[in-house]
This record gives sequence, structure tokens and C-alpha cells, in this order.
Amino acid sequence: MYGNAYIDPNDKAAMMIAGEDPDKLAAFEARIARGEKIEPKDWMPKEYRKQLIRMIEQHGHSEIIGALPEGTWITRAPGFRRKLALMAKVQDEVGHAQLLYSAAETLGKSREAMINDLITGKSKYSNVFNYPAYTWADACIIAWLIDAGAIINQVANAKGSYGPYCRALDRICTEESFHLKYGHDNVVTLATGTPKQREMVQAALTRWWPPIMHFFGPSDKISNHTEILMRWKVKMASNDDMRQQFLNMYVPKIWDLGLTLPDKNLKKNAEGKWEYTEPDWEEFKRVINGGGPCNAERLAVRRDAEERGRWVREALNTADSKYIVPLA
Amino acid sequence: MIKSLDPRITRAEIDLENNIEPLRDLDQWETYEVFHQKRRGDQHMHVGIVHAPNAEMALIFGKEQYGRRGLSVNLWVVKTRDVFASDYDDSDIFETVPEKQYREAGGYKVMDKINKYKKGL
Amino acid sequence: MNTEAIKELLYKMADDLLIIGHRNSEWTGLGPILEEDISFSSMAQDKIGQAQALYVLLNDLGEQEPDTVAFTRNANQFHSSQLVELPNGEYDFSLVRHFLYDHADQLRFEALANSSYEPLAKVARKVKGELKYHVFHANTWFVKLGSANEESHKRMQDAVNLAWNYALGMFEESKFEDELIADGVFEGEAKLKEKWLANITPLFLKAGLSIPDGNTWAPVLGGRRGTHTEHLGPLVEEMSEVFRYDPTAEW
Repeated sequence: MYGNAYIDPNDKAAMMIAGEDPDKLAAFEARIARGEKIEPKDWMPKEYRKQLIRMIEQHGHSEIIGALPEGTWITRAPGFRRKLALMAKVQDEVGHAQLLYSAAETLGKSREAMINDLITGKSKYSNVFNYPAYTWADACIIAWLIDAGAIINQVANAKGSYGPYCRALDRICTEESFHLKYGHDNVVTLATGTPKQREMVQAALTRWWPPIMHFFGPSDKISNHTEILMRWKVKMASNDDMRQQFLNMYVPKIWDLGLTLPDKNLKKNAEGKWEYTEPDWEEFKRVINGGGPCNAERLAVRRDAEERGRWVREALNTADSKYIVPLA
Repeated sequence: MIKSLDPRITRAEIDLENNIEPLRDLDQWETYEVFHQKRRGDQHMHVGIVHAPNAEMALIFGKEQYGRRGLSVNLWVVKTRDVFASDYDDSDIFETVPEKQYREAGGYKVMDKINKYKKGL
Repeated sequence: MNTEAIKELLYKMADDLLIIGHRNSEWTGLGPILEEDISFSSMAQDKIGQAQALYVLLNDLGEQEPDTVAFTRNANQFHSSQLVELPNGEYDFSLVRHFLYDHADQLRFEALANSSYEPLAKVARKVKGELKYHVFHANTWFVKLGSANEESHKRMQDAVNLAWNYALGMFEESKFEDELIADGVFEGEAKLKEKWLANITPLFLKAGLSIPDGNTWAPVLGGRRGTHTEHLGPLVEEMSEVFRYDPTAEW
């Protein structure tokens, strides 16, 4: 599960290729244009490396932090089927973090450095995971709709240019299809269940709608910067396109269940585009910068987990071990 | 102490301001490359890496990270640092000149000769 | 064959598996390193899956549906040993419990693979591979951490000392012991315990850890008859919170 196709638009486009060898840059861009993948030891522009590390790392963080809101219900999932499935799903998120961190490592940033940047708040993760899962139904909405958003994002990124990231995403997308089915099954069960169940799923949907609308990030500013990232196949789709795709695929499914969305302006217009009320982007920024309901808890929990595991990791470290950057 | 919606977190009595020492180098151990065989008779294939402190644990971890959905019958793990790899900058070593028909099946066409021989009989 | 005796055997096994699986699942997402987090979670899932398979057998013998049995009973209706309900503590205790429990579990299922009660024998044969992995995992961690450094050695030994008498409680005998043995359903707790000790003793040696002195052995009994520590009540309540929120619902 993942969010954050969103890449900081404040970076200066002009800085991106400053100082790069023009021949190498041309060969690099030609390779991408031919549809070939870039592999870890290939020459690449510094900015390409930097953007990818940031993006893959944030994606990895989102998985490991994303295990927390759903993990909230892991000891309380109702019945064997749900209990086992939720455990498997949260486990998959941890597995995805492992795959993504591994991909980012090939670009030269160690897992230790990534974890350090996460737990000190230096590095970001998807904003949605700073919201709480109040009830079982919240966990179900996350499993369905956040994972749905994640799939749209990941399927797009899987066609990107960096080999290790694409390989990780291929594997992740396969597992996400289980998550999506699992989430949908849960929401359908609640929505077609008893009045109490229906009430809880509607309440959860209403709570999650604003974070879901935030999920893909604000409209991209058209800039040279974005253009270069798209040419390099680092950014594969615009935030608005992904949001449109999401609305198109899932709003009808939500309405099918007779559930309501808290946006009176939400509708598909004559041109087939979805119209909606702009979500509160000030709130989005506030939450990204640490002001969300769960930011502090999420990071404290991660720090605690790292600290409690430290003696285990240290005990098994042998004097002759030596880290080298993974090959692929 | 965090009073969380997650009872596991509440029980762990976590302080919100629990600053910790940063993880040191090798905190996450070194890496092993994992290869799996899907079915008997198949070649082993590279599937990814695991961080592990020794080979047995690399195997234990690899089994669950890459084989938990029952897609493997056998695993190999090898320390990343023991893999000697060719360089992508040298990929042109694989671009051998194409006129090496003598080692391709398509380089051997005998039907012409056979037909000619049969006609001549 | 004595159905009551078989039910009692199934209940204690299933309840043990459910509770330890539940406890172990509490580590999911919070483990000491990503790779181990994944492995430990898989084993927790296996345990709960095995519990479910045994509740299905109970259902076949006239007991209620697996979900109802697992999610609506009160703590004093559980037949699990007290070992499995203890809180996870730190990773040392969780690993030691996993080691002590899984060796017993593997031997129990191994014996049951030849049980005269064929439905149980069938389940026992099916879970063989899972248990082999669990024991391989447990042994590796136990031996490595037992002898890695001073801190890990001390932690593991302390955890062994804490868990030991509870672990002995796993072998609490049932009132049907003689019948189960006579009917060829199960070889009995005494024999199982003997085999268990024989299996774990060399691993203690290898790990540089000590089995507590024989004079101090005092099995914590009662779990099999519904007597539990103060930890099981809250666990069961938490586990069934959503299920009980609307008992008429399908979840």
C-alpha cells in the first residue's frame, strides 16, 4: 500500500541537470526513450538518483508506517477468516517495505540511513497514515480504497525507468490485488450487513474521504522540473490524472453499495471528467509537516520498535560482516 | 505515554518523546542474494535480497519473504559480497559480431543438397 | 472411542494454538527487523490456521462453529496452558516461548499423525511442513542468541527461567489420559514431555543456556481446566471485541 506520487514541486528545474556530462546525459535519456531500464551501476544524473531515492524511500516508509493504522485492528479482527487475512495483509506491507528499501539501497542509501531519516521525521511518508483507524470499518476502508489508490500509483510507476524499483513494484502489485479484493469484500460485507455494520462503514467512509482526496497530492504545477521527471520516467502520471482514474473506478462502486460520499459536488460531467470540491490543501500541508492527528504517535512507535529490536540485531552482528550495495 | 487506539501500542507504554540513538552502520546486517527454484526441474532464479546476520537466517528469512505464497521448492542464499558481477558499462562484450552462423542451428541448411542429390539420381 | 476425551484433547490443542498465534501476531509490524517480522507473522498465521482446523474437527463432533467457539467463549472456558497467554514481553521471552512451545507442538502432532482418530491424524500430517519450519526458526534463534553476546545470553536465560514452569504446565494431564492412550488416540502427556526434554536438552547445550535446576521445577497447572492468569481475560475480550459488537452479524 502506498501513497505519495507527490514529489515536492519546489525543486528548481534548472538545477536538475547542471554540471552533467552532456554526452552521458544524452545516452542516458536515449536509453530511457528506447524503453530500456536503468540498472544500479549505470551512469545516471545526480538528480535522477536523488529523486528516485527520495521517492522509493518514501514509498518504503509508507509501507512500514501503513502497517500501523491497519495493525490497530490486528488483535481484534472478527472471526478466523478476517483475523488471518488482516495478519497476512499487514505482513505484506512489511514485506513491501523490505522490497522497496532494498530497491532504494541499490542507489546507494543504506537501510540504516533510511530508517534514521524516517524516525527523526526528516523523511516523509504518505500522509493518509497520519489519520487514525477508529473502528474496524476504518481498517476495511483503508484496505479497499487506500490500497486501490496505491495500485493506481504503483501500476503507473511499475512502467518507470529504474529496473530495481519496477521489479519491486511488479511483485507488490500482485500482492496488492489480494489486498484490494480483501478490502472490497470487507466493505461489501459491512455495507450489506446489519444496520450497525452499515452505520460503521458509512462513518468510516465519511472520515476517510478527505484523506483519500489528498492521497495523490495537489495538482501538479506545470514546470520544466516535472517535464524532466516525466521524460526520465521517474514520474509516470500526473496527480490529477491518477485522482481522476481513482474516482472513475471507485466512486460508482461506492455508490453501488448505497453509501454516500461527503461531497455534494462530486459528479461526472458531460466530458467524462469527475468534478469535485477541492479538498483542503492547507490541512494537507499541515499534516505533512507533522500536524496530523497521528504523526507523533506513528514516529514514536517506529522509534520504539527500532529500539526494542536493537539488542537482537546487535547480538547477531559478527565482526567480519561487511555491507556492500546490493546488486539488483 | 501514548494512549493509542491500538491496544498493542497502549500496552507497550511508549513515551511520545522517546528520542533514540540513530541506527549505526550494519545495524541491519549485511545482505544475501536469494535464488529460488519454482518447481523441480526449473533453473534457480534470483528473486531479491534479505538482510541477515548469517546464512541460516538468510534462508529462514528468504523462505518467508520470497516463498510465503508457496511458489518455491528450493532456495539458495549467497552473500552479496561474494557475487562477482560483470559491469553494465561492459555490456558491449555481449554484442558479438553477427556472422557466427557456424554456431547457430540456422547456419546449417542441408535440404538444398539433399534435393539436388535426389534429382540427380 | 471416547468422544469426550477426544474433544478435550482437541480443545486444549486448538486453544493453545489460537492463543499463542494471537500473541505472536502482536509483533506484526513491530518486530526487531523487517525480515524477522515477516517470518514471525507467517508462523503466527500458521498457528491460527492450525487452531481453526482443529475447531473444525470439534464442530464435526457437535461443538459450535469455529468462529463461535473462538470468539464468544469467556477466558475460563479456554483449555490453553498458561504459558501461551503470558504477555509477549520483549523479543527474548517471545522467542523462548516459541522454542519451548513449538518443540512440544511438533512432537505432539508427530505422534498424532498415527492417531487412531483418523480426522486428527490427517490434520497432523498436513501441518508437518509448517512445524518443521517453526522448529528450524526457533532452534536457529535460540542457539544464536543464547551464545551471541553477554546481553543476549542473559536475556535468553532470564526468559527461560521465567517460562520454564509454565512450559512444564503444557503437559498437564487430562482425566482421560488412560483412555486416550488405550484407544491409541494419543500417546499421553508423560511420554510427550519425556521426548520434549530429550529434544531440547542438546539445543540448550548448543546455545550455552541452562535448563533450570530440577529442584525448582513446579509445573504451572490449571490451564487445561480453565484456570488462567489475569492475562487471558483481557486477551479474549480484546480478540472478540468486534465480533461481539454485533453478534448477529456476519463479518
